[in-house]
Amino acid sequence: MDIRLISSGDEAACNDFHNRLYRHHRTMSQWRWEFADNTYGQTPIPFAFAKVDDKIVGTQAFIPIRMIDRDGVYWTAKSEATLVDPDYRGQRLFEKMYELLFRYAEEHEFSYVWGFTPAIKAFTRLEFTVPGVTQQLFMPFSSRSVTAMLGKLPRDRPGGARDRIKAATLRAGITAARMASAVSIALTSRKLPSGLEIRTMQEPDAQAGNCCKRFIEQWGGTTIYRDSNYLRWRLFENPYVKSVVRAIYEGDELLGWTAYTLGDDGLGYLVDMLISCDESRYKPSSLIRILLLEAVLGTRNMGATGIRGWRVNQHPFDRLVCREARKVGFYHIKRGHSVVLYNCPAQRVRAGYGKFDDWYISRIYTEGVLS
Amino acid sequence: MMTTAPVEYVRAQITNHARLFFTEPAARLLQSDAIRFLTYAEAVAMRGRQIVIPVDLPVPPVPELPWQVQFNGTVLTLWNRAPHPDGDHWRAIPNETAPVWYQHVSGTLMPSWNLFGNTFDLLTFGEEQRLSQRDHHDRFAAAFSPRLERGLLEVPAVNETVALVVAAVVAMSHTGQPSFTLDCLSGPPVVVLSHDCDALLGNDFWTQSVRLYRFIQSLVRLRLPRLSNLWWLARNAVTPRRFYFDNATGMIDIERCFGYTSTFYLLNGSGGRFGARSPFSVIPQLLEHIPPSWDIGIHYNYDTFLNQDRFAAQLEQLQEVVSHQFVSGRAHYLKFDPFRSFSFLQQFGIYVDESSGWADYVGYRNGIAGCFQAYDTEKQLPLDIWEVPMVIMEAALIKQHGADAVNFVERQLQHLSCIGGALTILVHPGQFFNPEHRQMLGIYHELLKVCRRMGAITHTARSLVDQLRR
Repeated sequence: MDIRLISSGDEAACNDFHNRLYRHHRTMSQWRWEFADNTYGQTPIPFAFAKVDDKIVGTQAFIPIRMIDRDGVYWTAKSEATLVDPDYRGQRLFEKMYELLFRYAEEHEFSYVWGFTPAIKAFTRLEFTVPGVTQQLFMPFSSRSVTAMLGKLPRDRPGGARDRIKAATLRAGITAARMASAVSIALTSRKLPSGLEIRTMQEPDAQAGNCCKRFIEQWGGTTIYRDSNYLRWRLFENPYVKSVVRAIYEGDELLGWTAYTLGDDGLGYLVDMLISCDESRYKPSSLIRILLLEAVLGTRNMGATGIRGWRVNQHPFDRLVCREARKVGFYHIKRGHSVVLYNCPAQRVRAGYGKFDDWYISRIYTEGVLS
Repeated sequence: MMTTAPVEYVRAQITNHARLFFTEPAARLLQSDAIRFLTYAEAVAMRGRQIVIPVDLPVPPVPELPWQVQFNGTVLTLWNRAPHPDGDHWRAIPNETAPVWYQHVSGTLMPSWNLFGNTFDLLTFGEEQRLSQRDHHDRFAAAFSPRLERGLLEVPAVNETVALVVAAVVAMSHTGQPSFTLDCLSGPPVVVLSHDCDALLGNDFWTQSVRLYRFIQSLVRLRLPRLSNLWWLARNAVTPRRFYFDNATGMIDIERCFGYTSTFYLLNGSGGRFGARSPFSVIPQLLEHIPPSWDIGIHYNYDTFLNQDRFAAQLEQLQEVVSHQFVSGRAHYLKFDPFRSFSFLQQFGIYVDESSGWADYVGYRNGIAGCFQAYDTEKQLPLDIWEVPMVIMEAALIKQHGADAVNFVERQLQHLSCIGGALTILVHPGQFFNPEHRQMLGIYHELLKVCRRMGAITHTARSLVDQLRR
């Protein structure tokens, strides 16, 4: 068995392996965007694979992501492409591929490795912690959103009478819920305070990185460093689905943005939300409300059956977004996937990471496809 | 005796098409001496490694029985067979029953179908010249086309022709034998998206009247009325932008998510049942939402048809709110005369038109998925105005294909990905996502997903044509 980092010429086989096991049609340009042409720009890329007799039997990769805390910008990695051929399970392939990647993380001074997964056991064996669970903010626009939501939320048992009853109950509940949400939206003022302007970003704004720095100064903790390069890669050049970025400005100064999109399942997705207004005369809550409304109306006009976002932990901005979202008509559903986190031992403990509640996490952390 | 103008015209259109959808060397080969347009007698007499295309074969008013051939992973449809040259020195390729080429032992290749006649006839609206039938809007409906009975309206015949010629000319230059594959000679399929902004508000007099009429009509006929008509009447009275103006902005956003762009054709001028349904004041508001990479064109009002004063007035009003000159457009209700409208539109600076399509049918009115130069058949001159025929209009798509609509588009794109071409899709804002038209819900999203899955790239009609005019 050959376990090593990917080199030129191995890409197509690794992508084929993914498509074969998941029955997906991921293109090579999507693969390249995700693993090779991301913002890291270093070779070799952190993509490990296991091969037996010219056959790929396992993959495990990192997507290097820069994060920011009050001490500055640092590299982390999102765990991605975790996949082992069922015929080769029990042979510690996952661990062996991770050995390579942990070494890579050490050499390249990554501070954390993180990810989202329903399969936490494999990760806890590698000393990952499970500090939290992604929860949902959800607003239905149509009862058809039930189908999509049922497909997304972890099921107790696949198919069967239980699911049907659940669907019927959900449909009835969602009809009532969407009417209540519609009333909330109607009652939410759409008037923009004077001095503020909302624009669609046609290109990533060069102020984005600075805005992100100010965000950390205002709210503390740590989050993905969303400079214009990152936004371009993650939101504007995403070959799976791009996002609409609506930004809020005071004069020409960028105060924050919301990013939203329409998933293949017909649901709208609140991909990101970020506000930095410490030096401005506007209340963060009112700016958040304005941007939430932009995302709600924007996805609704795109024909979404509902909109969903994440609510993850007790970071003050996450809490505030959740509070305002509920005012606008979102519902908080406490179900989702586990967050797994590995603190790279060679790195010093970052100021932003005392506890998991210091992490501000939005759906932008999914880094690729939305699901 | 045929003049050289039609020959030059057809050669230019084939070359232009190749420039858009094939590699540059392949397009260059089409302009070379490797292809010659001759009379049938001259073509039969030619010898040596070259493609000879007869230009004097008559085009029958009703297409002769078509046949199909395998090519580059898809199936092509040919019709109007060219006579097999006499003698043992010519053989049919790939076979006598479904031939594509006749080849002389010296290497000369001749198409087995009336390549020149069919192409010229399709691009110059031959059927419409020969037939006088028109519908109550004075349009040539798909039902009048003799191609309908033969099942040829959904055949992009010009694209298939160019693909066959490109494959043959490139292979001939190497091996002396025609090829039936393109081997990376063609690019990805192109999708040309557009939106006719007929109604941007749902509370206009005519839309509301229709709803009320439908409700009352049921009562008069002692049938149970559809209360939804009253619901939509009331709902759009309170929120007139919902499912109309809001849909236009939603379409921009959804296209942005897919990395696609489109053209918005703006309708203004006279109101009325066949006129502009929304007040002009809504147009500047819509313009604020249209990003710079999207295109804006004029949707020629119904009553401006060949009327200089009215057309000028409509254009002038639009120019008050748009700084750049309008160069592209489509006729409202597709009310358009292929023999008079092109030169008429040219006078107003329009050089891209998307009117050549059918309101009642999804198909290739000119047998082309792409664009071509208009041709003045009287003066025998190509005009500097280009037609990008409309292939798919959402309402016709659903009416014709129902639940299979998205699969139909996928099949068309799959076909075009094998032969090169641009599929045009028109979706009205009022139909994009409107629960009043339930069968339309989600259709545009599904279509865009298919386009992405097929690797389609996007162009607006104007950007497609500008590539050729440069």
